[in-house]
Amino acid sequence: MSLDRVDKNWLFRGQFMARPHIEPLNPLLHLSSQKLTLGCPLLDHRLRGGLPVGSVTEIAGESASGKTQICLQILLSALLPPSRGGLSAASLFIHSEFPFPLRRLRALSSSSSLSDPLDHIFVAAAHSPHDLLSLLAAAESLVARPPTRLPIRLIVIDSIAALFRSDFDNTPSDLKKRSFLFFKIAAKLKEQARRFGLVVVVTNQVVDVVGSEDGPGRLRVGNYAYLCSSGRQVCPALGISWANCVNTRLFLSRKDMIVENNASSRTTRRMQVVFAPHLPEASCEFVIVRDGVFGVDL
Amino acid sequence: MSASIAMAESSRSGAHALLDGAQTAWDMLSEEQMQKPITTGCEELDTILGGGIQCKAVTEIGGIPGIGKTQLGIQLAVNVQIPVQYGGLGGKAVYIDTEGSFMVERAHQIIEGCIADLFEKFEHRKQSLVCPYILQPNSFLANIFYFRVCSYTEQIAAVNYLEKFLEEHKDIIVVDSITFHFRRDFDDLAMRTRVLGGMSSKLMRFTKKHNLAVVLLNQVTTKFVDGSFQLTLALGDSWSHACTNRIILYWNGNERHAYIDKSPSLRSASAPFQVTSKGIRNVTSNCKRVRMM
Repeated sequence: MSLDRVDKNWLFRGQFMARPHIEPLNPLLHLSSQKLTLGCPLLDHRLRGGLPVGSVTEIAGESASGKTQICLQILLSALLPPSRGGLSAASLFIHSEFPFPLRRLRALSSSSSLSDPLDHIFVAAAHSPHDLLSLLAAAESLVARPPTRLPIRLIVIDSIAALFRSDFDNTPSDLKKRSFLFFKIAAKLKEQARRFGLVVVVTNQVVDVVGSEDGPGRLRVGNYAYLCSSGRQVCPALGISWANCVNTRLFLSRKDMIVENNASSRTTRRMQVVFAPHLPEASCEFVIVRDGVFGVDL
Repeated sequence: MSASIAMAESSRSGAHALLDGAQTAWDMLSEEQMQKPITTGCEELDTILGGGIQCKAVTEIGGIPGIGKTQLGIQLAVNVQIPVQYGGLGGKAVYIDTEGSFMVERAHQIIEGCIADLFEKFEHRKQSLVCPYILQPNSFLANIFYFRVCSYTEQIAAVNYLEKFLEEHKDIIVVDSITFHFRRDFDDLAMRTRVLGGMSSKLMRFTKKHNLAVVLLNQVTTKFVDGSFQLTLALGDSWSHACTNRIILYWNGNERHAYIDKSPSLRSASAPFQVTSKGIRNVTSNCKRVRMM
């Protein structure tokens, strides 16, 4: 929507006035803002209940860190009733990484107690940021008037980084164009999250941190001076601009350790809260097993 | 004697009649001194701010994601409500949330922390018998007037609406964040600049007319300057002149710091602060007892 279409004089003279809705902060209604369970009580506990409705949560991590596994798991937990931490809702999964992990989703859904969960999961592919924007515009009617008996209340985008991989060079003007798209996408996601009471999860890749102490790559964002995965210092992709677009950032890391005398390796995985308006610094070790992703208590 | 005083007074009122609404600098100074600043919850930060966030001024607070801008915004919306009997303003807050960062459960936590600290600080005072009825989390929440805006047009509409809304007493407006909706592409960038300018001068007018504090939280961006990327506040070019004071929040090693970047009356200084479960507090001990003689 461009400013040209709105009466410029109207805006400028301050006569553009629609009484905005003032939210009563009724603690009884909103105190524990509704959360979507991750499917594991320990992980939920670290996140004070799970993923919040009405906000955008980013899950960043390197390949095979568990991002997609968690996404698949929440597609199913969304179908649970609120009494079990779900939303009694269908989901929309927009993927930019290929192929879509259908086999894993089917395995997880068959081991869950839900009936016909796959009927309530909508999948769409996006190849570029403009694809994503068109999908989100189309999704609005899908969310407002769901074809199934369950409303859509979860949108997952896996991953945001892959959408921006090829179209942009490292020049200042391209980075600016890219950044404009971040804010356009984020504003759309947040508006839909707010209007329809959605949980929005966006996964992101990580890049290696290189350069001097004072370089832009070394800028500390959030609760940790540095983030490590597989023995390398990393940071979530798409820079500070994108970091400004999400409400909550979670980081998944993995560490492969050689087990002595055994010549085999054990993978430890960790989820960390990098920043969140409602969460203190927190981390939790987790495992990925046949039935899904679960936190482990040390 | 009395005749000359009468003449002096009539010439004074004559001068006032010429410049309707104008004040003498003396009047302004006395007014300013009567206006209590809003405490941030962190004593060291209050100190470099001259007591806290100034009323009748627009203060911009910028910083990278996760540094504590929203935390500070919520803290101020809570602290403005500290009753006069406890050394506060007993005021009300308007919170304009443009990004969805405001979480009621966190506001509730910060309110409980504020009340707990007030009780600890003032427990020796017998006259606090009246106050416990006011010091309930529900009444604090009820005095935060929360607007959620999802686009730049909604943001402009909200600011325009405030003109009427502020007729009932409010003491602080927090906008979290001011630039998010303006950082996407616009077909007409010159129009964007003018709209931002119009919004900022409106907010500035509110501080004068309604005697309140305006706090604008802003994001940080990298700007390509002289061949390298530098950190600056978002939309700095179209925005930076609009604020009276500017504070930057940043990481100094493992500690959060606040730095006064621009102020007509305060010295450039920085102070450490921390974000605890109770809210914004001093880095040293957050269980200080106030010693009364």
